[in-house]
Amino acid sequence: MLLEVRDLHVEFRTRDGIAKAVNGVSYAVDAGETLAVLGESGSGKSVTAQAVMGILDMPPGRITGGEILFKGRDLLKLKEDQRRSVRGAEMAMIFQDALSSLNPVLSVGDQLGEMFVVHRGMSRKDARAKAVELMDRVRIPAARERVRQYPHQFSGGMRQRIMIAMALALEPALIIADEPTTALDVTVQAQVMDLLAELQREYRMGLILITHDLGVVADVADRIAVMYAGRIVESAPVHDIYKAPAHPYTRGLLDSIPRLDQKGQELYAIKGLPPNLLHIPPGCPFHPRCPMAQDVCRTDVPPLYEVSATRGSACHFWRECLHA
Amino acid sequence: MPEQPYEPEGAIAGTGMGGAMDLGASEAVTLEKTPGGPDGTGPAEKPRSLWSDAWRDLRRNPVFILSALVILFLVFISLWPGAITSGSPLTCDLAKAQQGSGPGAPFGYNGQGCNVYTRTVYGARTSVTVGVLATLGVAVLGSVLGGLAGFFGRSWDSLLSRTTDIFFAIPVVLGGLVLLSVVTSNTVWPVIGFMVLLGWPQISRIARGSVITAKQNDYVQAARALGASNSRLLLRHIAPNAVAPVIVVATIALGTYIALEATLSYLGVGLKPPSVSWGIDISAASPYIRNAPHALLWPSGALAITVLAFIMLGDAVRDALDPKLR
Amino acid sequence: MPEPILQVDGLVKHYPLTQGVLLKKQIGAVKAVDGVDFTLGRGETLGIVGESGCGKSTVAKMLVHLERPTAGSIRYKGEDVTELSGRALKAVRRNIQMVFQDPYTSLNPRMTVGDIIGEPYEIHPEVAPKGDRRRRVQELLDVVGLNPEYINRYPHQFSGGQRQRIGIARGLALRPEVIVADEPVSALDVSVQAQVINLLAGLQQEFDLSYVFIAHDLSIVRHISDRVGVMYLGRIVEIGTDEQIYDHPTHPYTQALLSAVPVPDPEAREHRERIILTGDVPSPTNIPSGCRFRTRCFKAQPRCAEEVPLLAVPEAFRGAPGPAAHPSACHFAEEKQVVPPETDPRGDRFLPPADGPGRPA
Repeated sequence: MLLEVRDLHVEFRTRDGIAKAVNGVSYAVDAGETLAVLGESGSGKSVTAQAVMGILDMPPGRITGGEILFKGRDLLKLKEDQRRSVRGAEMAMIFQDALSSLNPVLSVGDQLGEMFVVHRGMSRKDARAKAVELMDRVRIPAARERVRQYPHQFSGGMRQRIMIAMALALEPALIIADEPTTALDVTVQAQVMDLLAELQREYRMGLILITHDLGVVADVADRIAVMYAGRIVESAPVHDIYKAPAHPYTRGLLDSIPRLDQKGQELYAIKGLPPNLLHIPPGCPFHPRCPMAQDVCRTDVPPLYEVSATRGSACHFWRECLHA
Repeated sequence: MPEQPYEPEGAIAGTGMGGAMDLGASEAVTLEKTPGGPDGTGPAEKPRSLWSDAWRDLRRNPVFILSALVILFLVFISLWPGAITSGSPLTCDLAKAQQGSGPGAPFGYNGQGCNVYTRTVYGARTSVTVGVLATLGVAVLGSVLGGLAGFFGRSWDSLLSRTTDIFFAIPVVLGGLVLLSVVTSNTVWPVIGFMVLLGWPQISRIARGSVITAKQNDYVQAARALGASNSRLLLRHIAPNAVAPVIVVATIALGTYIALEATLSYLGVGLKPPSVSWGIDISAASPYIRNAPHALLWPSGALAITVLAFIMLGDAVRDALDPKLR
Repeated sequence: MPEPILQVDGLVKHYPLTQGVLLKKQIGAVKAVDGVDFTLGRGETLGIVGESGCGKSTVAKMLVHLERPTAGSIRYKGEDVTELSGRALKAVRRNIQMVFQDPYTSLNPRMTVGDIIGEPYEIHPEVAPKGDRRRRVQELLDVVGLNPEYINRYPHQFSGGQRQRIGIARGLALRPEVIVADEPVSALDVSVQAQVINLLAGLQQEFDLSYVFIAHDLSIVRHISDRVGVMYLGRIVEIGTDEQIYDHPTHPYTQALLSAVPVPDPEAREHRERIILTGDVPSPTNIPSGCRFRTRCFKAQPRCAEEVPLLAVPEAFRGAPGPAAHPSACHFAEEKQVVPPETDPRGDRFLPPADGPGRPA
């Protein structure tokens, strides 16, 4: 396994108490594999990724337990300078908002080249040549001319390509993409997603795709981990989950999205609201919103039951859900 | 960012969550109730306006408490100086000139033989009067002009911006020396008038920017789409949301106006004897700094503490009103 | 077609670009909306889709009189309302209300929920007598699925979905006939989106509302709309019923847009044909000659650069009545099915609860 997160716990200290953002998340990604982490805001999907990258703000954040094994080493036990050498060189991150992730006063060529100067000790001139090469790789037209331009001179889609180029620069083994196309228009979104998937195949990288969009996930993911209230509630290969979800939350999400191919009647809507992380309901955190909830759900936290060798569901009634 | 614990009720979205976007933007962290009924997962919740939230933050801030106590004390002695001193600031006995502390005169006597304690206490009245009135004048004039320019924009805005530029180009102390030296009245009014004249552009800039920001909010558009009049938009929607920065800057400015009054009086163009002002006393005591440092120290110390108190108060108010914390 | 309630003809909004500090000189214009026509029937939902910068939000603002059109007319029940002001404008405003995109900036944080929803009555006091307002506000809260006891709370005490319900209640207060909803669910979480969409659909039935529903999400627009207009760079390029647009699109832009929508079905991955557009949307200050889509179009010919295609039923389909015969602004309009008809991997969806979602249980 390239990356293995084991029983990760993250808390945030807030004015109103302790917010339990991540409560025992485990997932794994292999080289060449795409894991989609699906969840709504507050589900802990981004916090987990930030913990993996080592960019979690601490304080107020605090990792209270678990392991993050990257190529067999526990990242949480590394010193900050060792951690820094992993970041960027061996794992890289792509953010949602490319404009605020790029430095507005440096040309994109300088920012891309910086990676090679810092991590590879290249000369400025070689780094510039590398930058042009990378911009070609992510199919930015007229790379040689545009390498001198500044981030604001690029469109949203082009900026996201530059972010991808930057992430790819040192050929990392793992890329974490946090809502990489959410801010983009559909037609541009398709271009960027295709590019990302293609490069991932080519370099045989592990890719963690964090998103709330069930459509994007179906298009590119190999496996899906669905998160709710800081827990993984279902984990399965992509085909299985769309065919027959084994958790009522996944099922509710799939049913609540309008479809392009039919004019629907009333949509199924998951009742209620996402939980307050300061007061996560006892038992199964989804029980107040679940149409299948029984007494046991209000008291016992469901473990991640093994549905098959490759699937897990944190629902006491996964069988009923699967065959509903 | 205040780190002290807080009552576990209410919204915390964004607080103390710098980089954790997933959480920071989260609805889940704000209080959540199933629509239509409490779900029992959170404590009962009362209506809480942003003002009451700010007030609660303030009450917990030691900087606020300290500065507020100092300011309350200042206001008290400027209203009733007789409560803590029995003498008159104008009764001086040259025989006691430059003497150290003695009975009834804990701070000693100055070069004219006046009681430094009594004069320092009475000096507070001038400082507080000038500071409060000048700030009120500046805040009213500045926020009305700036607010209207920000709201209506176009040529009004251009006109106001150019005018404020001109006022910013006038050096304050030099302007005071020139303008106030021709004034013969020995009251606080010319000084206040001068401060309002030169001070309003600062507030008007703040108010203008703040109104422009508030104006762009969708709730202003929503009210406009309902057919709300301009006065309703300004008074009900824009002003309450634009006033915070004006309050903060005005509070800090209050301290600087007190310092400015002292400066002008020191230079002899503000208040003149027999008026009582810390600036006059500092000026009078400075030639005797070697023989009678106490006569300089007490009024200067009072001035410094007063200015500092208002600046600290402004800081505390800013922390409490900063919307980014909510 | 139902009786028209709104008729929009040749709607144009240009924002002048000026240079110079004191003597401002116009050097160009941002052509945000550049000739839009449509009709909204009573009780109907017209969806308007397009990518960012296509001018759809500017159209919304003009419909509710937040922007004055540079040219063109908006007729409400036959009367041109674009030039109205004062009392007459206020009367029209009562009937055309808006729901905003961002539930975080569309509610005044210094006002209680009761004041926010009650404000329409203060502006139009003739609608409800003073003593009756509180009751009406509580009724509205109930209608949108919020606890009427929340009347004294402040917006920041609610989540995004609940705030959007408050915004909807405010829009309903004056009992308008038309509601313009500008991306009303795009800022909400997936599980909350469905609640709000169902609420909007339910209210339409209950209050006989006509909607102009503006969004970038094509699936949501199909779900809620009777007819759909596709906008590109300030113009509608194709308009028709949901079936005509989604199942029988004839404009290449619509086809590309539809084919780019990710479909929540991994099986569709392999056998879906996708039209990936090249390049970016041109700047609205510098609109291409002829057909404005030609710079990104996979069908572009020299004719497209010279002749502006009109929004009309293309010649090829004029004779034959069929779903492809609907207005499409393309010289080379041709039907192409891009949405695979059966993509639902399972037929066993959760049934909506009997009491209807969006209402308190």
